[in-house]
Amino acid sequence: MASTSVHIESVTKQFGDFTAVNKVDISIAKGEFFTLLGSSGCGKTTLLRIVAGFMQQSSGRILFGDKPIDNVPAHKRNTGMVFQNYAIFPHLTVVDNIAYGLRARGLPSAQVDERVRKMLAMMRLEHLGHRRPRELSGGQQQRVVLARAIVIEPDVLLMDEPLSNLDTEMRIHLRSEIRTLQRQIGVTTIYVTHDQEEALMMSDRVAVMSAGHVEQIGSPADIFYRPRTRFVASFIGESNFMPAEAVADGVYAVPGGGRFNVPAARAAELGRKAEIAFRSHDITVGAPVAGGWTATVVDAQFYGATTRLVLDLGDGKTVQAASTGHAGSVPPPVGTRVGLALPPDAFWIFPEKR
Amino acid sequence: MQAMQAWVAHRIGFWPIITLLVFLTLIALLLMPVVNIIGMSLSSKDPNSSVIANYVEFFSRRFYYQTLINSVQVSVAATFFAVLFGVPAAYFATRYEIFGRSFVRAAVVLTFVSPPFIGSYSWVVLFGRSGIVTQTLADIGINLPSIYGAPGIVLVFTLQFFPFVFLMVSSGLKSIDQSVEDAARNLGSSELRTFFTVLLPLLIPSISAGALLVFVAAFTDIGTPIIIGERFRVLPVLVFGEFVNEFGGRPILASTLAVLLLTVTTSALLLQRWYAARHAYGTSAIRPLLVMEQTPLKRILASVYVLLLVGLALLPVINIVISSFLKANGPLLIAEFTMENYERVWRTIGTPLSNTLYYTTVATAMCAVVGTAVGYIIVRRPGRLGGWLDGVVMFSYAVPGIVLAVGLVVTYNEPPLILTGTSAILILAFFIRRLPFSVRSSVSMLQQLSRDTEDASINLGAGPGRTFLRITVPLLSMAILSGVLLTWSNTIRELSATLILQSGNTVTLSIEIFNEVVNGNFGIASALGTVLILLTFLPLVILFAFLGKKEEALV
Repeated sequence: MASTSVHIESVTKQFGDFTAVNKVDISIAKGEFFTLLGSSGCGKTTLLRIVAGFMQQSSGRILFGDKPIDNVPAHKRNTGMVFQNYAIFPHLTVVDNIAYGLRARGLPSAQVDERVRKMLAMMRLEHLGHRRPRELSGGQQQRVVLARAIVIEPDVLLMDEPLSNLDTEMRIHLRSEIRTLQRQIGVTTIYVTHDQEEALMMSDRVAVMSAGHVEQIGSPADIFYRPRTRFVASFIGESNFMPAEAVADGVYAVPGGGRFNVPAARAAELGRKAEIAFRSHDITVGAPVAGGWTATVVDAQFYGATTRLVLDLGDGKTVQAASTGHAGSVPPPVGTRVGLALPPDAFWIFPEKR
Repeated sequence: MQAMQAWVAHRIGFWPIITLLVFLTLIALLLMPVVNIIGMSLSSKDPNSSVIANYVEFFSRRFYYQTLINSVQVSVAATFFAVLFGVPAAYFATRYEIFGRSFVRAAVVLTFVSPPFIGSYSWVVLFGRSGIVTQTLADIGINLPSIYGAPGIVLVFTLQFFPFVFLMVSSGLKSIDQSVEDAARNLGSSELRTFFTVLLPLLIPSISAGALLVFVAAFTDIGTPIIIGERFRVLPVLVFGEFVNEFGGRPILASTLAVLLLTVTTSALLLQRWYAARHAYGTSAIRPLLVMEQTPLKRILASVYVLLLVGLALLPVINIVISSFLKANGPLLIAEFTMENYERVWRTIGTPLSNTLYYTTVATAMCAVVGTAVGYIIVRRPGRLGGWLDGVVMFSYAVPGIVLAVGLVVTYNEPPLILTGTSAILILAFFIRRLPFSVRSSVSMLQQLSRDTEDASINLGAGPGRTFLRITVPLLSMAILSGVLLTWSNTIRELSATLILQSGNTVTLSIEIFNEVVNGNFGIASALGTVLILLTFLPLVILFAFLGKKEEALV
């Protein structure tokens, strides 16, 4: 498939005074599955629509391979887009929906038929070819629009929260199906979602966006284990934040008596006051150790597979610890003094929150 | 060469060209006529007179200014009564389990679409000097007050136009959530108190919109005042008078009068917009108001009220259909069944009928095509030009048919383009007159259609033109069809603008009926009127029966 790399160079989009996308630089390799992750209003959909050509950026440029596409109208960009609400053509059959882009390109009808037939087989939609969209389930409709976007052999496949209108079971099923399909045909893909699980599970690389700019670009493991900003640390996974104060060279103290060793260079950069963050599931709760990090259990929340303890560190600061339970395990009762421990590299330190 | 083509395609796309064409059309058919009558009203044959000389003359001669006072009086009175009777009728018909609900719905629609001038002469037939009811009652010694003059006009306008209020309020009631009423009742408010303190305030946008429609329709109607007004002279009739004897006789006077009409209707529109905006709460019902269970007495009283009102409003239509089968001796009808009227009509109906069908069909088709395109530009391609277009189309709401007609005559009665007296001028007038309604309906249907569907088509490589024709139009086909049926129904019975624009060759059914009425040939007028009512009603039957539309679609 004639797929291409995509280069987004310093793209900015203004709506009046509001900056929806702020100097975004992203380079996506040929065949890569790249995800724009962020909450609503972060500019991810705007950026996707700029790539598709539905909007014109205020400044910056976009290249497919080494070819700038800023002056190419949307219908000549050869991007296949999958929309959040399917955007299936309700008056056309499944076959006509899939054939739509091929016919718009003026392909001879024998070729159109052949490619549609192959696509139906690939998406396991053969038996539905002559159905109308209203006779299809949500999952089937989404497969049809996916087929419709892929059959034109797009340079780039664009997906705007394609799974968010589906129920949980169908979503989980389709996301692995889309991932497998994408690997199989090797099309460069830009995927937009607010669902971090989806982003981590499907992507080669993820860009976490907030307020129009990119916070961090990296592999899912990078994003999860090595968040570079406070925002990413708080947005991905379930994190705790504590104020930290330097008590010695490269040693920061947190409420409850915890001590954290930080490389000297980083400590010099941060200064005396900083903020330390860690994941709820990385912390272990045990018997209190003299001179160690301690807390008091204020609540134990039982969720089935996990139990969450709300721990008071003193100074009015609480953190959460999540642990996987097993049959017969009993959480410590409310009011118990407990000792806390973290693996040495399972925390991050950020500048003091202002 | 290819680069050149690409540049041209990029600069001059499909939609910019369409937008430009629409703009030129609106300028030629709406803005230029309006600007011309304003210019004409400020001009004078005497170069030394002041620019407002014509207005000074109007307001200093009682013969002129009295018509404006008269017009305002009857229109305000009719609006008041239409609201007074229409609001409770809509409330009862929507909320109570009244008897004959489907009859009420059908009767309201039939009243609404039957031409007002037919209604007025029908009232004359029944209650005029030699009317059937008047004579019958006189024989037993009861003398009815005269129906001629202002009271008759107000009566006809009220009964003819209260459906505007009825339909607006019915649809307004459907946008109020049941929980709002439940909350008021739960807090101890009686039904009456709830109606006045909760429902009525929420209905103000609907009521004022209905009232505006009544006012403008009454203020610009020519037929009714001529037929039933006798010596009570109103402004539109004065305008018409300028065109009776000599075509475009005194364009300066006609223009001045038209500008006055336009000023009043535009002010009324702006006033209503302002008032409704202040009282718009943006309610939308998740669970609309339900039909309430009533005591039998309340149910009967409400039914009697509603049935009496719609029955009275429907009386002229029934009367016409019956009289069309009665022997007529001039204005006198004899109780004897005959097909004579239809036989006579059959021989003469050819030209007016074919004219009517031709003009209506062409204007309707133009409305469908241009209306859909304009709606698309306004909703999907908002920009400076789209905003302008929206403004111009909204303005054309405020331009009454009669003003538009005067404007077209003034604009196109001299070279380079002479259209007066042609079929084209009638078709164009009908087209521009109904265009805002077509635009409004296509705007509302496009707003319900997700933009993603069209974006998907663009994304798959179909250009803007192909996308519009292959995706947008098919998806809107049902909505466009109902728009077409509505436009047809509303255009086919047009009288006011037609009276000014028609010439001998371009006579239409409504003109023919009007002439027969004025000449006192009630038998023939009734037969023609029945044909016209049928032609008006049939598309609506299709609309309601097969396209699942509700009566509210009419307003």
